[in-house]
Amino acid sequence: MFAQQLINAISLGCVFALFALGFTLIFGVLRVVNLAHGAVFMAGAYVALVVIVHLGMPLWAGLAAAFAAAGLLGAGVDWLILRPLRQREAPELILMIATIGVATILANGVRILFGPDNQRFPHGLLPEDVIAVAGIRVTVIEILIILVSVALMVVLMYAIQGTRYGRALRAVAESPRAARLMGIHVERMFFSTSFLAGGLGGVAGVLIGLYSNALYPLMGEPMLLVGVAVVILGGMGSIPGALIGGLFLGFSQVFSVAYIGSSARDAIAFGLLFAVLLLRPQGLFGTAAQRKA
Amino acid sequence: MDSLITFWAIYSNVILSLGINALLALSIWLTLACGVLSIANAAFMGIGAYAAALFTMKLGTPFLVSLAAGMLFPALAALVIGLPVIRLSGIYLAMATLAFGEVIRVLILNTPTLTGGARGLNGIPQLTEWWHVFLALAIVLAVLWRMRRARIGRAFDAIRSDETAASLMGINVSAHELLALVLGAAIAGLAGALDAHLTFFIGPNEYGFSRAVHILTMAILGGITSLVGPVVGSTIITLLPELFSEFIDFSLIINGVVLVVIVLFLPQGVWDPARFARWRRQGGQRHA
Amino acid sequence: MKRFSQLLIAAAFSTAAFAPVHAADIKIGVGQALTGGGALYGKAIVNGFEMAVDEINQAGGLHGNAIKLVMEDTKSEKGAAINAYKRLIFGDKVLAIFGTTVSNTAQAADPTAQAAKTVALSSSNTAYDITSIGDYIFRNAVIEADVLPVTVAVAKEKLSLKKVAILYGNDDDFTVDEYDIFKETLTEQGIEITTEETFVKGDVDFKAQLTKIKSTDPDAIVIAALAEGGPIMVQARQLGIDLPFIGGNGMNSDKIFTTAPGVASNDLWVGSPWSLDNDTPENKQFIADYNARYKVNPDQFAAQAYDAAHILAQAIRGIQLSGDVAADRAALRDALPNVTWTGATGPFKFKRHLDRQGQPTGYDADQTAIVSVTRDGRFVLVD
Repeated sequence: MFAQQLINAISLGCVFALFALGFTLIFGVLRVVNLAHGAVFMAGAYVALVVIVHLGMPLWAGLAAAFAAAGLLGAGVDWLILRPLRQREAPELILMIATIGVATILANGVRILFGPDNQRFPHGLLPEDVIAVAGIRVTVIEILIILVSVALMVVLMYAIQGTRYGRALRAVAESPRAARLMGIHVERMFFSTSFLAGGLGGVAGVLIGLYSNALYPLMGEPMLLVGVAVVILGGMGSIPGALIGGLFLGFSQVFSVAYIGSSARDAIAFGLLFAVLLLRPQGLFGTAAQRKA
Repeated sequence: MDSLITFWAIYSNVILSLGINALLALSIWLTLACGVLSIANAAFMGIGAYAAALFTMKLGTPFLVSLAAGMLFPALAALVIGLPVIRLSGIYLAMATLAFGEVIRVLILNTPTLTGGARGLNGIPQLTEWWHVFLALAIVLAVLWRMRRARIGRAFDAIRSDETAASLMGINVSAHELLALVLGAAIAGLAGALDAHLTFFIGPNEYGFSRAVHILTMAILGGITSLVGPVVGSTIITLLPELFSEFIDFSLIINGVVLVVIVLFLPQGVWDPARFARWRRQGGQRHA
Repeated sequence: MKRFSQLLIAAAFSTAAFAPVHAADIKIGVGQALTGGGALYGKAIVNGFEMAVDEINQAGGLHGNAIKLVMEDTKSEKGAAINAYKRLIFGDKVLAIFGTTVSNTAQAADPTAQAAKTVALSSSNTAYDITSIGDYIFRNAVIEADVLPVTVAVAKEKLSLKKVAILYGNDDDFTVDEYDIFKETLTEQGIEITTEETFVKGDVDFKAQLTKIKSTDPDAIVIAALAEGGPIMVQARQLGIDLPFIGGNGMNSDKIFTTAPGVASNDLWVGSPWSLDNDTPENKQFIADYNARYKVNPDQFAAQAYDAAHILAQAIRGIQLSGDVAADRAALRDALPNVTWTGATGPFKFKRHLDRQGQPTGYDADQTAIVSVTRDGRFVLVD
């Protein structure tokens, strides 16, 4: 059983990381607390569903549509709602409250349009093969998610550390005012990063929808909690931290169930979270958290 | 007289809910007045509801004692959770309160022998009368009003405007924020206790994220510059579903729309004394 | 003078002869979840109920009067349910209430009906304590405590079960209730429980629990789940678990074939008071009529609601309506427990419910469950 649970933990951990990578980009790097990210994730999945089921297009088209739609949604929220608030220097908490509002609108809008029931991607969209080797079984979608999350982490790390865009991003996160003085188009950075983060969220929505065999209007909520937990565990602003944090959470969940008891699972996860918040608030890999004066 | 009795028979719950929701909005107003966003107030309401209901049902205490328990337990919980996290900055603090809300829910679910677990607690005696609710509201409003005028209230304002400056002026920021959190928790707990003894039944899923958003919406809609704001906001949000009882489920989406629209266009909320003063001044000039 | 009074009397008689006869409608309140989490079931329930009421009205109504439904939305919320009941009882002065959809709202609203001495009949509340509220509370929904032991017994016999694993959602009162009943009946029937695993709503992954279950080598998996049922079965098959699943009411829906497509949904055993496959003449007629009117197959919720309307009507036929609301409500309450009816769900009668202290309170359904198993995309009756 141990070997199978190991695979379970790795794939669940990568599922968490997949969502957290987009979330940490917007939250951890750009310091925008966008609690609408969960709803954007969900909207991407539903857009893909419509494209695949009602327009009869293949999976890659659904993924592309999810990326584009969720990206536009994320960027739109930033441009229409967060930008005016930033311009009038509204407190961070007000921006957060606004994103809570957006999340509510999106989730309930989808519920009114599609109904509250679980939907799923069509049977056979992805090869349903299971690879059985040495007594352990892995599905195609799990392998896909593991590969994508690792690849994504590598690409994002490179983008942030090694490119001009990444440097500009880090400058804006540090101090928007200083960045503007340096000639960086700050609002454009917010816009493009929101687009990117949203798009990644949408793609995560499709892949996780395939993994869990369930799409429903509130599917973003548990993910949001996971995203917050992963960012706290792995550290704000750390891309590898998102992957490590995700794996950490995945392992804790799976092995709690396997060796302690299913009901203890959430208690242990929250316990770990609070421990990190108290003992090492910057997370495993993060830079120093904002402290009070 | 007969129609008055009928009116009360039909609408008593709505009217009492007005009072209870006003208490909830005020509980979050208190923390917002200090620059703290507590998403855990829904969970504090839940702790208060369960504590009070269990005191009544398992210990057989008189109603007022149960209400007191309903205020004490959330306050203690706020102290326990607040002490370690209060030193975190605004966003982290909000996140921690979000996580805390979930912890409470999980705790309630996994202690079925005490709390009934997922099944909830049913058969709670209906002890809440209209005057309990409005007396509670009056007392809370009076206390908060006195606080605003006192040094504590000014300290809150200072912290909300600029934390750094406030601490430089010698205000103990953490202590004040903790006080707001604990007091807010007590008020939310009181609301929960009153509600539990009104609706016969409470369950763990009532005090989660949607409830937290609901409470936040009431406060933001009404505005947080004055005490009247939360009361106005909660009244509007409570009455809205009654006025539009069409069979379309828009009430939740309206919460979201309200949050976005108010934050963008009416940031001081519906009840903004400053705006009214401006209108009065402009009105005077026009007639000049 | 005499002529004037003669004229007056003549005029009075003639107006009496020409005065139109107003039929007094019989008002029944409907308090179901038209929005919110229970709306899915609420819609089917209202469909079934309305179809029955139209049938009754078209056949001439009751005592020559038509049944008029007053609709209220309980929104799957306690507060809204209480307000809905209050409007129906005190505002519209209905004779009885057909409600609610989900047990949580019934816990909150039914006490109001009981206090106001108005019958509340539900076709879908299954939590045990609902009918403990009082003698005005009725349900024609067979509770899980009566269905699950039958399901387990039939599965035990056909599958030669010696040991099972239990997997249940521990954050929902419905699934927790099912778990308690399953556990009790498994113990009573001498079936060993190899392990108990839990999940919560919103979980995307059940492989940890399923892998653990697999390692304990059970003969079948007992499952108490709602929307997660399909994804659980899919992931189980992916892990190479080909065992039968034994489920409760939450698994008993055609949706399992879409949420667990292909062979994943096979070998699921459920018990229900109603089955699409059940070939009785009443059921076949009901299914045909429902299909013609709503263009979809009915489900168990529609069937039970349909029968509920007929049961209520049958009770009303047996009483004299005096026009005094309080007296009529009391008369209905006295007549209802004795009603028998054979409808879409088969022969039905009420039985007295005992609360957890053993006191007689409300009335539950007295019906036997039918066990079905899934095979290639449909539920097949187990004989």
